[in-house]
Amino acid sequence: MNFLRKKFYSYYLHPSIKFPHRVERREFAFVLFNEQSMHRHISFSSKDGLLNYLKTNIPAHVYYSSAYYRNPSASTMQEKKWMGADLIFDLDADHLPNAKEMSYEDSLREVKKEAIKLLSFLIDDFGFSKEEIEIYFSGSRGYHLHVSNSKVLELGSQERREIVDYITGRGLNIEEIAREKKIYKGKFVDKTIEICPQAGGWKGRIAKTLIKFFREIRNMSREKAIEELMKIESVGNKMAEDIYDALNDERMRRIEEGKLDQATAFKKIVKPLIRKLAISLHSEADEPVTADIKRLIRLPGSLHGKTGLRVTEVKIDEINEFEPLRDAVVFSDEKVKIKMLKPFRIEMMEEEFDLKGVAKVPEYLAVFLVAKGVAEAFS
Amino acid sequence: MDLFKLSYYPFLAEAKEWVKEQGVSVEEILSDVIYERARRRAIERIEHAILKGTISEAPLTNEVDCAMEIFSYPIARMIAVSFENEYVLRRYALAEAKKAYERMKNEDMQFIVHIAEEFGMEIKNDAIHFSDYLRYAPTWDMKWKLVNRDLKDGYVSVAKQEIARLLQEAIRKKIYDELAYLYAPPEIKRVFYNDILRLRSKVVVRKEKKIRGDASFPDFPPCIKAIISAVKSGKNVPHVGRFTLVTFLNAIGMDEDEILKLFSKSPDFQEDKARYQIEHITGKISGTVYSIPRCSTIRTWGLCYPDERCKYVSHPLMYYRRKRK
Repeated sequence: MNFLRKKFYSYYLHPSIKFPHRVERREFAFVLFNEQSMHRHISFSSKDGLLNYLKTNIPAHVYYSSAYYRNPSASTMQEKKWMGADLIFDLDADHLPNAKEMSYEDSLREVKKEAIKLLSFLIDDFGFSKEEIEIYFSGSRGYHLHVSNSKVLELGSQERREIVDYITGRGLNIEEIAREKKIYKGKFVDKTIEICPQAGGWKGRIAKTLIKFFREIRNMSREKAIEELMKIESVGNKMAEDIYDALNDERMRRIEEGKLDQATAFKKIVKPLIRKLAISLHSEADEPVTADIKRLIRLPGSLHGKTGLRVTEVKIDEINEFEPLRDAVVFSDEKVKIKMLKPFRIEMMEEEFDLKGVAKVPEYLAVFLVAKGVAEAFS
Repeated sequence: MDLFKLSYYPFLAEAKEWVKEQGVSVEEILSDVIYERARRRAIERIEHAILKGTISEAPLTNEVDCAMEIFSYPIARMIAVSFENEYVLRRYALAEAKKAYERMKNEDMQFIVHIAEEFGMEIKNDAIHFSDYLRYAPTWDMKWKLVNRDLKDGYVSVAKQEIARLLQEAIRKKIYDELAYLYAPPEIKRVFYNDILRLRSKVVVRKEKKIRGDASFPDFPPCIKAIISAVKSGKNVPHVGRFTLVTFLNAIGMDEDEILKLFSKSPDFQEDKARYQIEHITGKISGTVYSIPRCSTIRTWGLCYPDERCKYVSHPLMYYRRKRK
């Protein structure tokens, strides 16, 4: 038995699996070590059946269907008979706009911020209770948010796509959110944009953020404010100065009331703002996975075959403190001798490792490195 | 609900209950002279639905008028099914729903909420639960897209008239789904033989209206080509992509059946729903022909894959016309 498989076996003897609701209605799928293809269309009539399978087969990856089926082990969708599906959001560091430039640790931090943003959409806008939302670290590069609520179970993929468009701000119509008003003063026309901080949805979100933004700008020194304003795409020095200098008490009061007099400046600011508020969820292809009503997701409590980290539940109120490279570790710190295939640097369990050649490292790190394919184990 | 109200909304459970209580057999209703008026009115419902896409108004002055009006509804349903024609079923279900919408617009909020509850919609304080909203809203229309709505604590703010519009779709769906399982006794075909024959010829004629010129795929702009190939390969295409495609194909004269065929490979294809959406966009149902989004809009949707020619155009149709010259 090879090193990884042995370690996974020791975990699956006493795993801490978080079973999905209605286990017997789900399809399970597994990828075994040293195999490429996935074993699909497997179902279990009880939790014990699943636990036994894990112990006997020691899979590298474990998935289950977000959907419930009448016959989960049937091989075609028609025979499976779809009954409903949880709402799943898959936040992956690879979907971040600047994913390639970031270290693994940094990208995990960034994607956690996305998860926190998404939570606010799910709770404040969609009205889900904290009890209906579960957050899991994926075991590798992201977070999965599971929503189980009877009202969303039967939503089809078009309806789910609308939810995705909502949280990603896709199709957002700025004219619907901020109405331009023209006031005629003799020969001149004053353009005012009305925003509505009391409103719900994007309308309120954008209004509140704009007001906060202007308040912050006003409290900055002139230089700092201009510097900050110029960070916005297509805002030049002249416009930044104009915006800041016009931001007197009266103007600020009007902004707090939801009246923006600088229509041109507003239009420049609002677009990057939407980008910042929206969730980066788009996969490089085209289709956000959430809309897929028959997808497979990693089983909470199982191990990720490419990292050896556990798919770990994150308590909503503790998400800020959650550290994946500490809290998703399941193996011991007993020293194991490994041979690095290339130099590698990582911070794990709050300890910095800079490795090359032959090294003695904690078991959890050995598993991580071997799973990642950057090291080999002896024995 | 009084009989006048019920005759306005004969698809409600309460109306169905009322019919049942009268204890009239199918045989009586199809042959007894007392129900001749209900039978005539039933044909009127179908005829108006096929020809005009809605249900005509019937004068209701007393309870007998109302009773006949209510009876005409189950008869009309059986007639619709007897056509054994998908188009007639869809058209009829939609016509009933549209008529109901027209009437609901004039009802007060309390009444509308009452109907909405029958359809399982959760409404409180002029707002509807987003899941009910999504099920029935025409979200291909920008102003109905969830992202552009006021959504708070799970509820979307809606005006009275908007709830009525959501109900229209709920009613259409309910009637259509019921018709799919409805058994029409063979006597129907005998009793209404002449009417069905006469109307059937009209259905056929309507369907034969032809397209305006051929669509030339090689001349399509790259954005449209990309959406088509995604749709054809069975990928899930975002809403706005489908919308763009349908508006474009409609504008260049492709007919609805051909457009529908394109979409049939979609993983979540439901003919009934897809057709409804296509017909909404092409104006057959909505009365508004939706225009093709401009290049700038398509770009913000992330659907733009420009080539050389795109530099000189700001609208997909402009690209197509220029290339065809």
